[in-house]
Amino acid sequence: MSAEWPLKANTKAVGITIRDLEVVYSTGQGQVPAVNGVDLDIAGGQITGIIGESGSGKSTLAMAIMNAVPHPGRIVKGSVVVDGVGNMLTLDKESQRRARGRNLGFVFQAAQNSLNPLTRVGHQVLDLGRSHNVKDLRGLLRRAKELLHRMGMDADRVLTAYQHELSGGMRQRVGIMFALVLDAQVVILDEPTTALDMLSQASVLEIVRSIHEERDITTILITHDMGVVADLADRVVVMYGGELAEEGETAEVLAHPAHPYTKGLIQAIPRISGDLSQAVALSGSPPDLKTFMQSGCLFYDRCPERVAECQVKRPPYESAGPERKVACFRVMPHD
Amino acid sequence: MSLAATTEAPSKNSPGPAGHPSFLKNAWRVIAKKPGRLLGLAIIVLFTLMAIFGPYLYPRQLPINPNAIYAPISWHYPLGTDFEGTSNLALIVTGARYVLFAAAMAAVFTVVFGTALGLISGYYLGWPDSVIMRVTDFILTIPGFPLLVVLSTIWNFGQPMAMGFVLGITGWGGLARAVRSQTLSLRERGFIEAARTLGLSPFHILFKEILPNVGSYIAMNLLLAVTGSIYAEVGLFFLGVVPFQVNNWGVMLNLAVFSAGAMSSTQALPYLLSPLLALLILTLGVVLFLDAVDEMFNPRLKEA
Amino acid sequence: MIEVRRLEKTFPGKHGLLGHDAVKAVQDVSFRIPDGGAVSFIGESGCGKTTIGRILAGLENYTAGEVLVDGQNLATVDRRQREAVLRRVQLIQQDPYQALNPARTIEQALSDPLKVMAKARGADTAWILQRMEEVLGLVGLEPEAVVHKYPHMLSGGQRQRIVIARALTVEPSVLVADEAVSMIDVSLRLGVLKLLRDLREKFHISLIFITHDVASARYVGEDGQMFVIYKGMIAEQGPTDDVILHPQHPYTQALLSAVPVLKGLESPGSDRYIPLKELDHGQSPENACLFAPRCPFAQPLCETERPALQGASGHQYACHYPQERHVVAVALKE
Repeated sequence: MSAEWPLKANTKAVGITIRDLEVVYSTGQGQVPAVNGVDLDIAGGQITGIIGESGSGKSTLAMAIMNAVPHPGRIVKGSVVVDGVGNMLTLDKESQRRARGRNLGFVFQAAQNSLNPLTRVGHQVLDLGRSHNVKDLRGLLRRAKELLHRMGMDADRVLTAYQHELSGGMRQRVGIMFALVLDAQVVILDEPTTALDMLSQASVLEIVRSIHEERDITTILITHDMGVVADLADRVVVMYGGELAEEGETAEVLAHPAHPYTKGLIQAIPRISGDLSQAVALSGSPPDLKTFMQSGCLFYDRCPERVAECQVKRPPYESAGPERKVACFRVMPHD
Repeated sequence: MSLAATTEAPSKNSPGPAGHPSFLKNAWRVIAKKPGRLLGLAIIVLFTLMAIFGPYLYPRQLPINPNAIYAPISWHYPLGTDFEGTSNLALIVTGARYVLFAAAMAAVFTVVFGTALGLISGYYLGWPDSVIMRVTDFILTIPGFPLLVVLSTIWNFGQPMAMGFVLGITGWGGLARAVRSQTLSLRERGFIEAARTLGLSPFHILFKEILPNVGSYIAMNLLLAVTGSIYAEVGLFFLGVVPFQVNNWGVMLNLAVFSAGAMSSTQALPYLLSPLLALLILTLGVVLFLDAVDEMFNPRLKEA
Repeated sequence: MIEVRRLEKTFPGKHGLLGHDAVKAVQDVSFRIPDGGAVSFIGESGCGKTTIGRILAGLENYTAGEVLVDGQNLATVDRRQREAVLRRVQLIQQDPYQALNPARTIEQALSDPLKVMAKARGADTAWILQRMEEVLGLVGLEPEAVVHKYPHMLSGGQRQRIVIARALTVEPSVLVADEAVSMIDVSLRLGVLKLLRDLREKFHISLIFITHDVASARYVGEDGQMFVIYKGMIAEQGPTDDVILHPQHPYTQALLSAVPVLKGLESPGSDRYIPLKELDHGQSPENACLFAPRCPFAQPLCETERPALQGASGHQYACHYPQERHVVAVALKE
């Protein structure tokens, strides 16, 4: 914590424990399990990257942590226990509302949708403060300014600006400011860099990284870009078709991916050095409505390593070494 | 080197090779989804049949019955009778042709003019746009109903075609403006630019690329134009500014109110209420059916 | 072959083309692409790279300079010829959903340009169907699986393949891919990039690849030329691998630094740096380096004189103080 950073840092990082979470979407063709029986421990003070393609349920999982799954989604069962707050799914409405913003900060996908286009950013900071009964609104604005300045922006200009006057990268930073201005101990970023160019992406990631370190918060990063997770996250969680496929320490997973899907994702990243022929495209389409219905492994149709067993039974999500879990029949534990 | 090496598996949640529903099939699927839409369609079909075949169901001169003047509702006269003892039902059925035919003509004029001019104006911009929009503004400033009243003094509206033409001519301005603004936003879309770089003709771009995307909008306007025109012509006849040479719902209203005193006596009430009921049911049918139009034309909702 | 000389594009502001608020989107850009060759333009959003692509596709006029497609100057050919020339240059847009008409099936989208082609060569309906299957096969799609679908029924990767197939119907010699994979799920991007690379090799279609992602530019055009564009001007240009492995311009180095480092497989380059300041879209002074306000290595000279392209003819950079820095991540030894 440096001298020009007088904000109160959290003394103890907040972890999140998710158990047997199930979220179902009602569609014309019936009930689709977007998140299916997810057990996940998000360690406090770490950056956890949750990666998955469109349709993997990663954004739904993020919304479920806030207990804010949008219609027609519905949390069917499970628990989401946030340290110091309680089970988000059973708290009363008012405590939940207070927890969102105060304890859990959320940065929306392509932040533009989360800003009100009709009022200035500064006004929205004040509105946020009022709805959370912040007494010292002046102090709140000062804090917002510091955060914006910290992210390399002209704070006075941004606070008096409307959403459309800000570029994509700037909006995303404003989104991060909103998530942090009430001193949230957990920040959830949903696709924070999608639609940004590489340079904006890199600077947003740099900001997330440095703020994370300075404030000792818990950061959850939702993305479809393995590169983003590989660069930033301490831990990576791979999601496929609403279920967890693999998790582990980032460097470990990247160097020794166990699940064929994880391997495919890593191989599909074009690199700026080395042999281009090492890059291999992932075949097939992302999971869709039918994927959820098959009885076997969700990744079966696209899997280069599948065996007969994979078609009939869904592999259990099991420990495969220290701090490591995988759902694949082909991975022998401790191999 | 095989280009097909990375074939993506076909997405499974959509129809196979056989599934290429024709427009009508799809439309029926959309309508059948909700009973309200079916009811709406049934009402519209019923009135259309009435307009086409109605006059053939009754003799040219509707029978009069001096013993049943202003007869109450009964099995024999389901909607009562008028001042001559003619069945109100027969009057409604035979009167439907003029009303609906004129309204359909008006709607077709409105839609054809409005759509074509809106598309051209929005796509070409420049001088065609300026000219068309000035004319549109002029049309929009003409108060349609008073114009009709004035015109009727010099023009005989015995033919529904003439009535429909005048209603259509004064009515296309709003649609043209709306279609133009839709076209303006569509022409910047990637697929229109792509069509241009592929060398497709402006005619193709206007009618095959842009038109389907404003289809639901136009269909809705068509239906609303029909009801709007019906109100206008019934209103004209009610006011009595056009000659009474035809069976017509508006004429019935006029006679009921001004001759039969339906406002003060209950005796002629069925005579007043039956054309009103016809209008009400037809409007209800159109409104119920409108619900299906958007879904019918919106490709995103096809085979969801 | 495409040759572009001193291309310039100014968007008029409120006060016209010469007004103080006119935006110079492209300035002094020259390049040539041999048949089957590849050129990539790298830069941030709003740097003018998209405008270059739109000019080549005939969707935008240019203010000055020359554009020659197969030897024909776009400015001097008559309207008819211009249409034919431009048809040989097809644009693959960023958003495949925008690029396909939502109200028309894939079959309709592909048969329209094929009908025009068939008319030109006097071919019949059977030829159209055969070509349709051919182009779909080329982009790796099963014809029966897609032709009767609407765009929204396909995945992002499939949609972009359809857009490429549609471009192939008119037998182009140049494809301009403008951020062609940035809207697609990362997991499916490589498949589309591979397709573009294969089209180059198999049909000698030249590729102009416009992107902010250096890695994907390298993937499709490792053997081609790379142009780093900043505020409408060339900051650095040269053979792709030369620019990536020996970057001289601080802006190129920033772009290379921005490529995520894969923990566990790579370690960051020793000189990696990421500018936190965003690109400002305002006017830059005529006599200063465009990148100076964001450059961590700027000197007083950079504020007073705009650097010209310098360096050996193959690899050039517009910087007063060029210096190679190690910004690219290094692969860890297993």
